[in-house]
Amino acid sequence: TMLPLLLLLLPAAQGIVQLGYRPALTKEPPLEGLTTASTFVVDQPRCVFQDYRNAVIWLVVALEQAVSSFNNTAGPGTPETAFQGFPYPVRAYMTLNTTLDSYPCPKPDGDITVLRVGSETSCAEDERRPTCNGPLPGPGPYQVKFLALEGSVPVAETAWSLPITLRTAKPPSSISTAGSGHSADMIAITTILSILFAILLAALVAMLFFWGSDSCGSSSTFSKPESVTVRRYNTHHVYDQPAARL
Amino acid sequence: MAKSDDCVHILQGLLVFGNVVIGMCGIALTAECIYFVSNPHGLYPLVKATENSDINAAAWIGIFVGLALFALSILGIIGVIKASRTLLMLYIILMLITFAFEMASCITAVTHRDSLTPELFLKQMLERYQNSGPGNNSDNEVTKTWDELMLQNHCCGVQGPSDWQEYTSAFRLTHSDADYPWPWNCCILDAQGLPLNLDGCKLGVPGYYNSNGCYNAVSGPLNTHAWGVAWFGFAILCWTFCVLLGTMFYWSGIDY
Repeated sequence: TMLPLLLLLLPAAQGIVQLGYRPALTKEPPLEGLTTASTFVVDQPRCVFQDYRNAVIWLVVALEQAVSSFNNTAGPGTPETAFQGFPYPVRAYMTLNTTLDSYPCPKPDGDITVLRVGSETSCAEDERRPTCNGPLPGPGPYQVKFLALEGSVPVAETAWSLPITLRTAKPPSSISTAGSGHSADMIAITTILSILFAILLAALVAMLFFWGSDSCGSSSTFSKPESVTVRRYNTHHVYDQPAARL
Repeated sequence: MAKSDDCVHILQGLLVFGNVVIGMCGIALTAECIYFVSNPHGLYPLVKATENSDINAAAWIGIFVGLALFALSILGIIGVIKASRTLLMLYIILMLITFAFEMASCITAVTHRDSLTPELFLKQMLERYQNSGPGNNSDNEVTKTWDELMLQNHCCGVQGPSDWQEYTSAFRLTHSDADYPWPWNCCILDAQGLPLNLDGCKLGVPGYYNSNGCYNAVSGPLNTHAWGVAWFGFAILCWTFCVLLGTMFYWSGIDY
């Protein structure tokens, strides 16, 4: 008689069903805003809670240290699980409640089925909205899981996700604007122009000091345009000679 | 004698030709620098906000140097044809002064261009974009310029939208991270100027936001500006160097 009694006791002690699904950050399509400083994006649990048509599916967001101490019987919308009390004294809050209708199965191709945790800013301070999906207050790390409640009785849960760490922003003063040195162009222009200018100055000095040096390879100089041809030069001398004789 | 005269004529011809080219290049330089000073791509507020507008100063010097080169080339042509020592000495001195100014302009333009790094613009954008502090006029200019830039070039930030996530900014002080991971000008906007799909933009779904950085749109025109002033000026100076050497040689051969 002991055996049938034991067999009767076992189903009653089963309680919450552990589903094999593990929530994760969305991989497809690649999202630029997958994690920001106060939000992150996870896939919707499509085709996971098929056996629980009457349940309301909640998302539990917990600090990594509070994962093992989270009690599934904690009711949503109570001060113990209110978003406004997160992260202290509330260590895990419950939000994003929907029925299975919001997660139809199978997922239509091409649809982006994601949940953005932290997108509701309007109710972040509103104590009357304890299930607010408010922006996360720090970089974490956080872990999430989905919990199905029928009424106030938890019936199924997924595994906890891997720890999710959000981005931390650095101040702009940490950007170093020290020059990356001079480019090759600048060095080339500067050196070549300096050399050219130096040569010109040297040539000017040489020109002024060695006044009237050779031109055009021959030892004669050339005269002004009024007497520019050889013939006129000769004529000039011819006129001079008679005057000299006189 | 004849050979020497031919030699003289050839030298005169070369110098006149050289001066004609200098005159034309002077006009071209003036025109080019006027074009740059007129701020065709609307980037001047960004350069001005870096508190160092040397690249603009270089263009202004270029305008006046170009006009000076044109005037001096005419003086040079007259001096060469008349073989006048006074005119040519004046020409050489003034040309050397112009050479020095143009040299300064080229070096300034290329040095300043080297200092306009992506990091500089990133820091400026983060600190000034949508800075809603006490009304600072140059910050409004910077904001307007960036908005125009992001809208027309379909880009976001300096290296990408992640600039707004990796660093805090003046923008972040007034716009929460959850509502505005990046400015809405980074979203692809419809005809009315509203984001095509705001959620898609906030999530960063490809197709609803601009994923490229704007640095290429900024550095392209700035490079053209700097190279246009610096390298064209350098080419003119090289040519001028040859003409000046020829003129000095010619001058020392003139007999009084």
